[in-house]
Amino acid sequence: MKKKAYFFELKNCLSELDTLCENLEKYGRQIGLSPKMIFELNLALDELFTNIISYGLKDDRDHLIRITLTPEKEVLGLCVEDDGIAFDPTECDQPDVSCSVSQCKIGGLGIHIINKLMDEICYERCGNKNILRLKKRFIKNGS
Amino acid sequence: MEIIEEKQDGVHIFKLAGRLDSNTSQGFETAIFQAISDGSKKIAIDFKELDYISSAGLRVILKATKAVNREDGKIMLCAMQDYVKEVFEIAGFDSFLPIVATVDEALTQL
Repeated sequence: MKKKAYFFELKNCLSELDTLCENLEKYGRQIGLSPKMIFELNLALDELFTNIISYGLKDDRDHLIRITLTPEKEVLGLCVEDDGIAFDPTECDQPDVSCSVSQCKIGGLGIHIINKLMDEICYERCGNKNILRLKKRFIKNGS
Repeated sequence: MEIIEEKQDGVHIFKLAGRLDSNTSQGFETAIFQAISDGSKKIAIDFKELDYISSAGLRVILKATKAVNREDGKIMLCAMQDYVKEVFEIAGFDSFLPIVATVDEALTQL
């Protein structure tokens, strides 16, 4: 497996979710990630990106969200950088997911999904930037 | 994302294809709430051709389920691909939303 880092940038609009998906499929195939791994990476990064667009970048200016993927020995490293308002997803309350239809609330669900899919999450505010570093153990093909 | 709507045995069926995410969920929300306000109380959502769902998609399904339950109706979810079903499981939604293997099964239970 090649150890080269790969990065791409997304504009702050929700239609860029298609670009996210295209990039992950292209890069995932290049380094031999399983379809399940690509799906889960896509979902976690989608939830992060959607949070950044919906809550972090409320002005009308154009912004770029930079995503870097770095394959290591046992894990894939991910880094998501944006210049929105400071937001630390590791500080969010976990929603109660063991509830009925009428009690179930949606708040925090995206972050709950990210926590379930990722093995490590680390937040840093650096100048005017949010930097979120995540790690996910490789899922082998067929599992 | 594509949404095809049809009626069978008094059940309003939504066939979803493609990706249900924060970019496409608004279109689905509009379509399903239109059906609910037009009086549909029995709804089946066919996930067979749906490749992807995020929390934005789950949100619409939960909201629609609550709205239909208030009218004494029912929504059933059918034919999910494994990865999509896994998202419902991670969210814990599989414990309270009726998920069945086929559209036919949903039609007999609605």
